[in-house]
Amino acid sequence: MPTTNETITLFDDEFLKKLEYLNIISKRLFAGQLRAERRTRRRGTGLEFADYRAYVAGDDFRHLDWKAYLRLNRLILKLFEEEEDLPIYFFVDASQSMSYGQPSKLDYARRVAAALCYIGLANLDRVNVIAFSDSVKAELPPQRGKGRIFKIFRFLTDVTATGETDARASFKTYCTDTRRRGLAVVISDFFDSHGFESALDILRHFRHDIFVVHIASHEEIDPSLRGELLLVDAENNTSREITITPSLLTAYKAEFAKYCEAVEAYCGKYQLGYVRTTTDFPFEELVLKVFRQGRFLK
Amino acid sequence: MTFLALTPLQAALLAALTIGTVVALYFLKLRHRRVVVSSSILWKRVLDERQSHSLWEKLRRIISIMIAATIALLIALSLARPEVESLTGKNERIVILLDSSPTMKTQTQDGTTRWQHAVERAKSLLDSGGPTTEFRVIDTSGATASAFTTDRNELRKLIDSMSPRTGDPQFPKVDGADSQVYFISDGVTLHSTPSFVKRLSVFESANNVGITAFEIRSVPSAPLAYEAYLEVQNFGGPEEIGVVLSGTGGQRVNKTVRLGTEEIYKESFDLSQFAGGGVRATIQSKSDALPLDDVAFAYLPVKRKTRTLLVTRGNHFLETLLKLDNYVDLTVIDPANYRESPTIDAYIFDRFAPPAAPGRPALIIGVPSAPWLKAATGEVQKPEIATWSDNHPVMQHVSVHDLSIERAARIDATGLTVVAASKQTPLIVASEKPKWVMLTFALDASDFPFHVGFPVFIENVLGWFSREQLALKRGPGIVDVPLANAQIRTIDGTTVSSDQQLGNTVFEASQPGLYSATQGDERVHVAVNLSNPTFSDVNRSVFKTDKTAAAQRYWLRRELWFYMLIAAVALMSIEWFTYHRRLTL
Repeated sequence: MPTTNETITLFDDEFLKKLEYLNIISKRLFAGQLRAERRTRRRGTGLEFADYRAYVAGDDFRHLDWKAYLRLNRLILKLFEEEEDLPIYFFVDASQSMSYGQPSKLDYARRVAAALCYIGLANLDRVNVIAFSDSVKAELPPQRGKGRIFKIFRFLTDVTATGETDARASFKTYCTDTRRRGLAVVISDFFDSHGFESALDILRHFRHDIFVVHIASHEEIDPSLRGELLLVDAENNTSREITITPSLLTAYKAEFAKYCEAVEAYCGKYQLGYVRTTTDFPFEELVLKVFRQGRFLK
Repeated sequence: MTFLALTPLQAALLAALTIGTVVALYFLKLRHRRVVVSSSILWKRVLDERQSHSLWEKLRRIISIMIAATIALLIALSLARPEVESLTGKNERIVILLDSSPTMKTQTQDGTTRWQHAVERAKSLLDSGGPTTEFRVIDTSGATASAFTTDRNELRKLIDSMSPRTGDPQFPKVDGADSQVYFISDGVTLHSTPSFVKRLSVFESANNVGITAFEIRSVPSAPLAYEAYLEVQNFGGPEEIGVVLSGTGGQRVNKTVRLGTEEIYKESFDLSQFAGGGVRATIQSKSDALPLDDVAFAYLPVKRKTRTLLVTRGNHFLETLLKLDNYVDLTVIDPANYRESPTIDAYIFDRFAPPAAPGRPALIIGVPSAPWLKAATGEVQKPEIATWSDNHPVMQHVSVHDLSIERAARIDATGLTVVAASKQTPLIVASEKPKWVMLTFALDASDFPFHVGFPVFIENVLGWFSREQLALKRGPGIVDVPLANAQIRTIDGTTVSSDQQLGNTVFEASQPGLYSATQGDERVHVAVNLSNPTFSDVNRSVFKTDKTAAAQRYWLRRELWFYMLIAAVALMSIEWFTYHRRLTL
């Protein structure tokens, strides 16, 4: 289990300052555009006027337009837009493969998730954080308001990288239980033996707006391996004797690039937001990159 | 395959041990370094694709073992010095015997000489044989004889430094039991060779005209008159030959003769008009393959009167004889008036000897008592000539076989040259230093003065004492001069290096020429001429009919271990290259 020290290290004061900075930046980026509070087509008790309709018995006469009554001698009811919060689901890959790299991909994912959560909370969105590997490992109930960020920190800190990746099963389990559609942010390395497409298909079928943050470590992109090795898979502990040759390394790099392109191509095909990053890329810049994609804040 | 350093069993054990060790070491491979990766999905894809598509991937383990085993086996077996007869030949010994006869200088139609052909054949022989084959190079002059060696470069240098010698060739002693002997020759001078010798011919027929004899000799009837005898033989087709005889004083005789095949031209030339000194005979012809025998030299003694002091109480024969001699300036005195004179060239003491040896040569008749002479130890009645030396200068053209002597003194001839002797006592003895000749009998006690050879003998004695001698006749090659510590010069004054050998001076004359050997007041001329029909007849080859041998060539020039190590190094390089590129394991 992660300790308090780990929490301090991962989400320290410096990190909090960065979150504030990101919050300000995000507001500046979207100034003059839509606010963070989501309006829906449903009429409700919001402050924004939406329309008129004839009064019928049972309506709240507090919304009667008395001025119109004096002019028209008819009871006319003012309608206001219903304001709703946006459910944001952060799916954080907590499989064993995410422990790879320096810093680990999970740490990087936690920071990215925390930053995005903070901005979501600041915009009064309903933030859900789900840690998954071969199933949903942990789930944080919906949180609203900036004050809940520390709860999210604790949750993320408690997440550990274990187990194999089975995003499809995890997403299916979660989405079946949760009815509301929202923004699904998937932060993962997408090393899924069952295939990343079927997992994202699940989210698509539940009509979530999907944003993919694809994390890779530098060691995965350009491994500095040489000689005779026993290659051990971090997730399932399967091993294989291998002789690393320059041509093999080249083939691997090509395969990795091909894999990344496949993920990106999938996202492009279904108009999903996609950002690829490495663990040595500053997370705050990544967050801004996410904003610039225009999907996270609407 | 055989092994020079190990028995077959040892070699087999070594090979088995090596392969076993390599294979064992190969399987006792280093533990693979454990590396954890986030996911093996992509690695698996890459490896599966490569392995499924590459036969090499399937074979490379076994190929790696085979390469390693081969390298080890090559190194291990190279220590055993293997030999494959078909590749490297047997471990044999080859003697290359080069005929260095003068006839090998005969020019061939391609503008080179038989010798150059022989050198090529010898080098070709060196290129044959296996790497372990030991070669030895020798020639028929005895001047070159290498030890057995496998260093072909050294032998090539040796062959390049060799040349035909003008001396008489001798077939050297070679052992055919443990070596193959190749004799590279034109087959002209050395006809018979041992049966084990394989002959390689460089013979090519050629036209040649050569001087087969040239000498200056005194005319027997007039010892101070000289004539030159010249003999020229044609060993080619009919040829017109120019003959030139030239003297030191510019005298010259030209003659043109036409000789048919094998025809000999002989002629004596009167040299009365020639001044004393060197005389050269040369011949010229259109087609001549051997220039060596186209020139010959001789020496014509300078004529001058010998100032002779005859010390006698009266000797009618001697006085008459010497007074009649145009080349003798005679003075006759009584022994009582004898005084040594520096102007005298030669003394004749008739039954008298001064107490001290004179400074000039002397002919002593009888055995007078003197400290510097051998004392008579007795008297021999009617001694009969038993032996005499024709070669001694004083005995040239003199016959004493019918000499009748009444009595002679008995002397001990130890340290003297006995020119003529009876069974009981020497009759004519000679001393080289001081130079004198002594008759152990008185002239009036013999019939020697009545012999036709007596004037010749006296002329010979005076000639030996003070006149220039005819040149010694020698063939080219190592020339010996019977004069100790002499300085040898050519006719143009160039000094020739010489050595001392058993009291003689020896030097090498590679070309015909006239040489002078000088030691103090003594001077000897040496005419070095080929003048040998054996050498001039360059077509008298046994290879006209004989089959000649050919040496066997092998693929490899060095021992097999050398190539095995090279192969091992090459394989190691390949292995290093492929290992670092992970082509092999």
